[in-house]
Amino acid sequence: MKRDLDKVRNIGISAHIDSGKTTLTERILFYTDKIHAIHEVRGKDGVGATMDSMELEKERGITIQSAATYCSWKDYDINIIDTPGHVDFTIEVERALRVLDGAVLILCSVGGVQSQSITVNRQMTRYKVPRIVFINKCDRTGANPARVTEQLRDKLKLNAIPMQIPIGLEGDLAGVVDLVKMKAIYFEGDNGENIREDNIPAELQDEADEKREEMLDAASMFSDDLMEAILDGGDVSEELIMAAVRKGTLDLEMVPVFIGSAYKNKGVQSLLDAVLAYLPAPKDIENIALDLDKDEEEQVLGNDPEAPLVCLAFKLEDGRYGQLTYIRTYQGTLRKGDTVINSRNGKKVKVGRLVRMHSNEMEEIEEAGPGDIVALFGVDCASGDTFTSAEISMSMSSMHIPAPVISLAINPVDNKAQDNMSKALNRFTKEDPTFRTFMDHETGDTIISGMGELHLDVYIERMKREYNAEVEVGAPQVAYRETITRKAEFNYTHKKQTGGSGQFGRVGGYMEPLEEGEYEFVDKIVGGVIPREFISSCDKGFTASLAKGSLAGFQVTGVRCVINDGAAHSVDSSDVAFQLAAKGAFKEGYQKAGPVLMEPIMKVAVEGPSEFQGGIMGSINQRRGMIIGTTEENDYTVVEADVPLSEMFGYSTVLRSLTQGKAEFTMEFARYQPVPKSIVDDVIAEIKKRNEKK
Amino acid sequence: MLKQNLITNNPLRVFKTDTKGNEILQRMGLVVSRPGVGKTAILVQIALYNMLQGKQVVHVSIGQSIDKTKAWYDDILKDVTSGAKAEEVESVKYEIIRNRMIITFNNSNFSRPKLEERLNDLIKQDIFRPSCLVIDGLDIAAADHQLLDDMRALQKEMGINIWFSAVSHRDEAGKGDNLPAVFKDKADIFDTLLMLQPADAGEGKIFLKTVKDDTGCVEPGKAMCLDPTTMLVWG
Repeated sequence: MKRDLDKVRNIGISAHIDSGKTTLTERILFYTDKIHAIHEVRGKDGVGATMDSMELEKERGITIQSAATYCSWKDYDINIIDTPGHVDFTIEVERALRVLDGAVLILCSVGGVQSQSITVNRQMTRYKVPRIVFINKCDRTGANPARVTEQLRDKLKLNAIPMQIPIGLEGDLAGVVDLVKMKAIYFEGDNGENIREDNIPAELQDEADEKREEMLDAASMFSDDLMEAILDGGDVSEELIMAAVRKGTLDLEMVPVFIGSAYKNKGVQSLLDAVLAYLPAPKDIENIALDLDKDEEEQVLGNDPEAPLVCLAFKLEDGRYGQLTYIRTYQGTLRKGDTVINSRNGKKVKVGRLVRMHSNEMEEIEEAGPGDIVALFGVDCASGDTFTSAEISMSMSSMHIPAPVISLAINPVDNKAQDNMSKALNRFTKEDPTFRTFMDHETGDTIISGMGELHLDVYIERMKREYNAEVEVGAPQVAYRETITRKAEFNYTHKKQTGGSGQFGRVGGYMEPLEEGEYEFVDKIVGGVIPREFISSCDKGFTASLAKGSLAGFQVTGVRCVINDGAAHSVDSSDVAFQLAAKGAFKEGYQKAGPVLMEPIMKVAVEGPSEFQGGIMGSINQRRGMIIGTTEENDYTVVEADVPLSEMFGYSTVLRSLTQGKAEFTMEFARYQPVPKSIVDDVIAEIKKRNEKK
Repeated sequence: MLKQNLITNNPLRVFKTDTKGNEILQRMGLVVSRPGVGKTAILVQIALYNMLQGKQVVHVSIGQSIDKTKAWYDDILKDVTSGAKAEEVESVKYEIIRNRMIITFNNSNFSRPKLEERLNDLIKQDIFRPSCLVIDGLDIAAADHQLLDDMRALQKEMGINIWFSAVSHRDEAGKGDNLPAVFKDKADIFDTLLMLQPADAGEGKIFLKTVKDDTGCVEPGKAMCLDPTTMLVWG
């Protein structure tokens, strides 16, 4: 049977933490008959929401990994990616947006547009994702969807157009008025499953007329037919309005706004109807791949199921069914039993079991066509890999991956934990490109690094729960670096004669600051004073020295080492002798080259009500922050500053108490900068003390 | 060396002292030009002149983001420091970051109380103490006289320099060196009025003409020739 691509929707649900994404998804699954009971995120029944399949997510009431799930509504196939709301997991959101065609941006009717909504919206704009908005929690005290719509316009600069008005608000929320149908819609029954359409309550008629006119004005910009129909003054058909709103939405020129309360089971079915009506089908979206045979030339992918296959592995999961690889198909058909090529490494991969995932249940399928989101079993690959048919070599464009900013030392408590930890780390680094790990050879610690304290915290918890790997965790560490500030000469002789064959090598030259790049080795030896075979030994010796600077033991960067003199002995010179001579030379030169300690500086944006601006600025100033500027929008102020990472630990707690929990911050790595002279001694002393303890 | 050059060739240098050599610490100035001639660039140069002498400057940007405002500085710095030694450039950049604060407003919400509140947040906590404000993007022609009076009062109370930019349109342009008519009724509020005018086509220069200067630094009618790329004094 040929699939009707018009009837497929790949949507993401993303928003600020605690705006009710997971609850909404849970309701969607309930109404689409995918689950048969509703469990709350932090419900008393202890089951947790279906989409929060990871144990930890259920416990904390937050969504960490975007579980992909499939459901069907009114004859349409909908693939939903539930995305995390916390800033530390932004890579998950970004990845999800890469494979989706449209998105529902959820906002809390009380909290409105918050900092993470701004980040998510920016990401959606970057990936050109058409979106609709659902203003959730209209049952809460202080709910004000009209204000949130204004914020969408002011803060996110979206052409936000309400498609509904509420019937009652806060505790009195009874339903919504649909401005297209001009009908009141009530959601009745224990779980809101019975939809009743009725006439608009008389007291809301004027408001509904006014808002409908506004909506028609906005929609008519995208349809001449609609504009004519409005000017003619006759009845305007629902189809005409919906087509115009759809066009505006797909062109990213308009954002229809819907309202309700997922928790109180109101407005969810209308939102599902809106997903079908206004969000794009896979073929409405142009996807680009890079043709590796044509020097990465951009190629527009078609939606032809008969074309050569191109699909993207966007997520890996190691769950109770073994390793799962989530795949989005862009063109061609992926069939069970096929052999496909991983375009990153050219390896052939046999497609074994192919399944459609519903959170932690699944459905076996035989094939997946363009636009499908499915999962494969037992495929060895990394997140972001592209799979193609053998006859082509394509790669989906690379994703923007932020650099990790914080690291922690972890140590397994016993041998069993050691093995499990290795397995876990291997899995996590494949799943999440922002999570990295390496071994500190000096201390024997395993170091993990990532996007924030919570990010690493979650992986440590996952190690314990999913892999049974108990680890001891050190304090968060800042990745300092060392560099030199001036040119300095060296001339070092390594000589050893203690029985057996001796060691001899002399290395002369200079080191100087390198403006761009981490390290450069320049060979200016003439006359063979250092034999050619030992030149690379010198390079090795310098490279080894860079790993640990003598100032505080951190990696040394930004150094050019030039050798222009030296001496060798016909018997005693060797590779090792010259490596040691270069190490000695580096040490000698480094002391004289004005070494400095560099620290990572973060670009921090703190957003909160203007009344707290003074306090926010004071708190940044106390943290050695350099305030770049402030922006005021309505009653909110955003303070932008450059702050050393070492001063940002625990800032969220400070900010919360300073602003009664009303301000939030985001941060990302900006650059390395020398630690100020006034505190560098203290910093080095503290680092040395910490290292001694180890 | 680089820093000294930037100070010496800055057009604001002639407005530093009066004829008796006394430094002018307080002034309210206005730079008028047609769109695209270089109003913001000249404000950036005014800010740089102060920053490079260790004075703190608040750059108030109305209707533009912090990033866009920062980009003005980055672009101008790139031009004025091209060919200079990397460490000198770094030192100049550091001085600028240290002495600059950008405050942005929407077009609609700029007022003296709002600005003052935000300045006080900085001053009272000893975070930043500006001796100069440059205010870019305020529609001076359409602005309420009261707003400008308020700004004048603020300038006097704080004892600082404030420079504004204003855009004039072709049809408003005054003849020769005259100020466009739309600014005539506001001229009395400012101590110094400057006009930026491009030289004749092909010359690739810009003139900074002094229309009015009550501080006694420059005689009205005098003009300075500027390099349009850097807005530094020509030659």
